[in-house]
Amino acid sequence: MAEAGTATADALARLLAGNEGCDPARLVPLPFPYEDWRDEAIPPLTESQRARIEPGPDGVSAAQIPIPGGEEERERLVAGFLDGLRKLLTRENNWTFLQPLLLSMENCVKCQTCAEACPIYTGSGRMEVYRPTFRAEILRKIVARHLKPAGRLFPGLRGHDIELDWETVVKLAELSYRCTLCRRCAQACPVGLDNGLITREIRKLFSQELGIHMPELHEKGTVKQLEVGSSTGLNRAGLADIMEFAEEDIREKTGLDIKIPFDVEGAEYLVMHNAGEFLSWPENLQAFAVILELAGVSWTLSSELVGYDSVNYGLFYDDVQYARVALKHYEVAKKLGVEKMMVGECGHAHKALMPIADRLIPDSLRVRTESCLVVLEDIVVNEKILLDPSRNDFPVTLHDPCNITRSMGIVQPQRNILARVAPRFREMEPHGVSNYCCGGGSGFAICSSLNFGEWRTRVSGRVKLRQILEAFSDCIEPETKKYLCAPCSNCKGQMRDLLGYYDAWNRCGILYGGLVELIVNAMVDVREGFIEWNLH
Amino acid sequence: MATFTHGNVSIEVDEDGFMVNPDEWNEEVARILATTEGVDELTDEHWKLVNYLREYYLQFGVAPMIRKLCKETGFNLKKVYELFPSGPAKGACKVAGLPKPTGCV
Repeated sequence: MAEAGTATADALARLLAGNEGCDPARLVPLPFPYEDWRDEAIPPLTESQRARIEPGPDGVSAAQIPIPGGEEERERLVAGFLDGLRKLLTRENNWTFLQPLLLSMENCVKCQTCAEACPIYTGSGRMEVYRPTFRAEILRKIVARHLKPAGRLFPGLRGHDIELDWETVVKLAELSYRCTLCRRCAQACPVGLDNGLITREIRKLFSQELGIHMPELHEKGTVKQLEVGSSTGLNRAGLADIMEFAEEDIREKTGLDIKIPFDVEGAEYLVMHNAGEFLSWPENLQAFAVILELAGVSWTLSSELVGYDSVNYGLFYDDVQYARVALKHYEVAKKLGVEKMMVGECGHAHKALMPIADRLIPDSLRVRTESCLVVLEDIVVNEKILLDPSRNDFPVTLHDPCNITRSMGIVQPQRNILARVAPRFREMEPHGVSNYCCGGGSGFAICSSLNFGEWRTRVSGRVKLRQILEAFSDCIEPETKKYLCAPCSNCKGQMRDLLGYYDAWNRCGILYGGLVELIVNAMVDVREGFIEWNLH
Repeated sequence: MATFTHGNVSIEVDEDGFMVNPDEWNEEVARILATTEGVDELTDEHWKLVNYLREYYLQFGVAPMIRKLCKETGFNLKKVYELFPSGPAKGACKVAGLPKPTGCV
């Protein structure tokens, strides 16, 4: 078997041009009660889709890349890619991430330690094109052959004779959407190289230079957010309607009369929620309101455009779109004159507004930002609300969102909270900074077009599902209701689809939800039964 | 993008069969879209759901949250799935001519 890193350019090119879908028989096996579960192969694109769209080497399409119309378009694609690659490697065009990119491009020792750390590579049954170094190796060979001054001399002898045609370019673009940027490989790398970053920079090249991206991230994502106010399409009138409903719902469920504060100038915290919570998981925003009000926190939400949606999909694929959204977030906070921003249960918003903003946004334009987990820890551990943990008398496990734990090192606060509210808590293995991605990272959870939804539930989420089942192996029967705590909107979206596809509610009684819901469910001042044990 | 044709009606739909131009929706279109969802006949209960979704979308630009949808129509989620087997977002919204939900929903 050819292995990236030791493989010749020829072998890599053959794999890239190949058309081998995931073999369901090779997927990593699942424990009880799924030993006999048989997955069907991921359906290929339909004939009419295939006539218009070029998929990746695995037959899957995330970026919906149109097949170029003629020779001229093909040449433009290749030339545009090479131009973009040149820019990616120069400081004046890529001051943002050039240093870690070059370090990762130039120092790989090909030891392949990263491969076994990758849930997509291992989960798929070790498909070569999913190996974490695969994309990076292709890119290295293209740089050596086409951008280095002597690259055209005897390339075959030096092992980098990858010819560039439009198909190579398209396949590489697609493959940059077969990695969730979870960066578990980077953590495993003995030299500290980051294949996740290389993948993200490939996406950036394609987006900024060629207009190729997952439509859910761009047209239906950042572009829509900047235009309408939210990637969900939610406008201010819709927001008001939702909040009115949420207050009524809180009253009915908890017996508390709570007014959700909006646009309060000078509040201590501007709370930034992922707008997905408003539409799909309203109990999450309700739980936040209950906790913050009863703990006496000074807080507000914003009804400004973009201010009511913490998402910043630019993080995943495009520096320019990232900056546009991030600057808008800070502008809203500054205008309100709040002391700090608090990021709700959304992993990528944590990363976008904290560590990446540290690197990319000048201090003068920023507003101090904290994770909700830290604020909630203070409230729970310092007993600013009254808790009765016996109300949460059911098994609970925790999914660690990669952007919050691995990327930011926030590991203990959520556990200190669970120690107070979840008496039957058990860890998944591995967990904390060694966690596995939910399989929906880097925006995958919002993409289910063409055959990508099938890939995401069968391949990229496979290892996570195994972990969840193992964590509950002592009580897996459906009669015992169990709670999978996933404090991140994107992860919750993936859990919904993953557990749904595997029918895990009916087979195993596993309900997923956020962390604040568990806290409110244990609050003495709240009517019992905040968590509703039914399919949602 | 693709064109879905049924009889003499042509509808522009996205790769997942959702309408590209929700303004072009009418009851005839709803009946045709329903056939792609395995719903051969739209009963009064179907229409109640479809009309609610349609009106909410026209007013607020998004689909309502499922909790609200259930409360306002009096149908629980199980019932919604009975009416539209692929569910409220993929099934009912499609028939009501809403674009595919976007963002982290």
